[in-house]
Amino acid sequence: MTSPATARVVASIALLTAILLPAMPSHAGTTTGPHGEQAVPAASLTLTPEEEAQIRAGKHTAALAWHTPSDYTAAVDRGAHDEFARLGIEVVAVTDAGFDAAKQKSDVETIMAKRPSILLSLPVDPDTAPEVYKPALEAGTKVAFVDNAPTGFVQGTDYVTIVSDDLFQMGEKAADAMANAIGGKGEIGYLFHDANFYVTNQRDGAFKATIEAKYPDIKIVAEQGLADPAHAEEIIHAFMTKHPDLAAVYVTWAEPAEFVLAALRNGGNSETKIVTLDLSEPLALDMVQGGNVAAIVADEAYAIGATLARAAAASLLDKTLEPFYAVNALAVTKDTIKEGWFQSLHRDPPATLTGG
Amino acid sequence: MAGRLASQLSAVRAVDPSRYVVYVGFVLILVGFSIALKDDGFLTVRNLLNIVQQTTPITVMAIGMVFVLTAGEIDLSIGSIVAISALLAAMVLRQYGWPLGAAAGLAAGVAIGAINGGLVAYLRLPSFLVTLATMGLLAGVARWLTDLQSVPITNDLFNALFGAGKLFGVPSLVLWTLATVALGHFVFQETRYGAHVHAIGDSAPSARAVGIKVDRVRFSVMALSGLCAGLAGILYAGRLHGARYTLGETDLLTVIAAVIVGGTRLNGGIGSVMGALIGSLLMGLLNNGLILMGLSVSEQLMVRGLIILAAITLTLRETAR
Repeated sequence: MTSPATARVVASIALLTAILLPAMPSHAGTTTGPHGEQAVPAASLTLTPEEEAQIRAGKHTAALAWHTPSDYTAAVDRGAHDEFARLGIEVVAVTDAGFDAAKQKSDVETIMAKRPSILLSLPVDPDTAPEVYKPALEAGTKVAFVDNAPTGFVQGTDYVTIVSDDLFQMGEKAADAMANAIGGKGEIGYLFHDANFYVTNQRDGAFKATIEAKYPDIKIVAEQGLADPAHAEEIIHAFMTKHPDLAAVYVTWAEPAEFVLAALRNGGNSETKIVTLDLSEPLALDMVQGGNVAAIVADEAYAIGATLARAAAASLLDKTLEPFYAVNALAVTKDTIKEGWFQSLHRDPPATLTGG
Repeated sequence: MAGRLASQLSAVRAVDPSRYVVYVGFVLILVGFSIALKDDGFLTVRNLLNIVQQTTPITVMAIGMVFVLTAGEIDLSIGSIVAISALLAAMVLRQYGWPLGAAAGLAAGVAIGAINGGLVAYLRLPSFLVTLATMGLLAGVARWLTDLQSVPITNDLFNALFGAGKLFGVPSLVLWTLATVALGHFVFQETRYGAHVHAIGDSAPSARAVGIKVDRVRFSVMALSGLCAGLAGILYAGRLHGARYTLGETDLLTVIAAVIVGGTRLNGGIGSVMGALIGSLLMGLLNNGLILMGLSVSEQLMVRGLIILAAITLTLRETAR
């Protein structure tokens, strides 16, 4: 039994690792998995035509137990469905836990009545998740995870693999896109997520590390953490008051960036550029109209689902898999909106963005 | 006098048709799923037992809610009590063993319920507003208790007793359902206290006039609801081998839907513990069957919403007669 003190030490070390790793110079920066696994490119996971035929012949079934509904989940789900269809695997059940660990346990129990060969899932809470996935393990179902695995589970025996974003690459691409937007020099603001959340921590850290290591002529002159997206407006006001000539501002994710955009617009500021992460229609609309938003960095959410499905199918053939696969990140700009949107979410951008 | 009242009330309830609607609906849906999903593992003992086990915390909370609603009150704070009770049980258990852990969880439930009850009965505040406030307050406390961290429970006895254990081959959660429903039904239908709860929900002034201690009953139903939510929290913790601040967060509406579908009137005077059990099982049955039908999540939500709406419409039409 782990004592609370030990748990706290372990958590602190994990947190420090998460913060320090991306803070290293950009060439040394890599995305790591929740247990420090090295990220392997998702594209490296392939199946030979023989393997695919073998999988198809197996008449396997799959179930998907997601954590909460979102654009992102929908794209991951689409990727998994399409890849399973390609491999002749029937999807027999899909559930959504609404971020409730107890509901996710019920979902998995229910799913197991159909005895699927494969279960794909994103655990709501890694600490209580071992109980959630126990029925699947007992039934010999191959389980593969997005982002995180249940505490204490061993890759290769208890689960197939983890597939996630390349978080470092997302921050790095945001830095490159910003440098590109402001001509490689100027004063910028940095609005990061002030919380213990390994996804945003890695992305923010990678942005900052890349700017500092790769772009000596860009200076971060204003820096502020944010816990509640609604406060982004106040923070950007403070930035602009102190630094009226701010060339650009990095915002940790799309929701606070929408507040930052609103504040800049209300202040009549059309000069300061915004770079943020995760696709959002209002921000993209401003970008295609030549407003403040210069670039939005996105992950290949669709590819996460497709890779996860492929990995789980490969495990049915007892193929050896890496413990942690990461998909690519891409910077979407005014000129690449159509391709970028499709690459990330595997659907066309809303008509408002393409003038359609 | 109270004895006569009790016998009169049970005579009225014996012919209350609203109590049959839910049973008929339940059987219809059960048969429907059994036919539609006959090759999908729906009608296996394991799957049906799963449904009972998955709904046990909802059933336990629903029993408390039947008393609260029948007395003309409401308790919106049950979801937050679940999280606090589960977290406290998990924390105390680590230091002092499982009996004290379980006791701490239950005590937290009763104590919070008693605070709600005190404000409602003695300060004469509306239960809707009191529990709306405590719901938010307690959600904050649950987040603060462990700083958003989950607390694993590794005590096998606790996890067996309140979670995945079995006694003579019967899962412990099924036993908890049977025991709490039997006790709740008995107290609600057969005791003087149950008759008082009905009476003050029907008409508090009349109840007071015949000598029923209205304030005390109001206080007690809120405390009872807290106790039930506390037990639900412990059952969740046992089931998940751990506690988390989000436990119970989304349960309030499911509990209210289960209770109303089961023939309990939202504004007091009429209630049914057996109906609440069936209502709760119906909610679990719907979740289970719609997932096994292979519907997408959006489709599951729409179909479930429509069926619950239909069930409530039928029940309320019968209750209003």
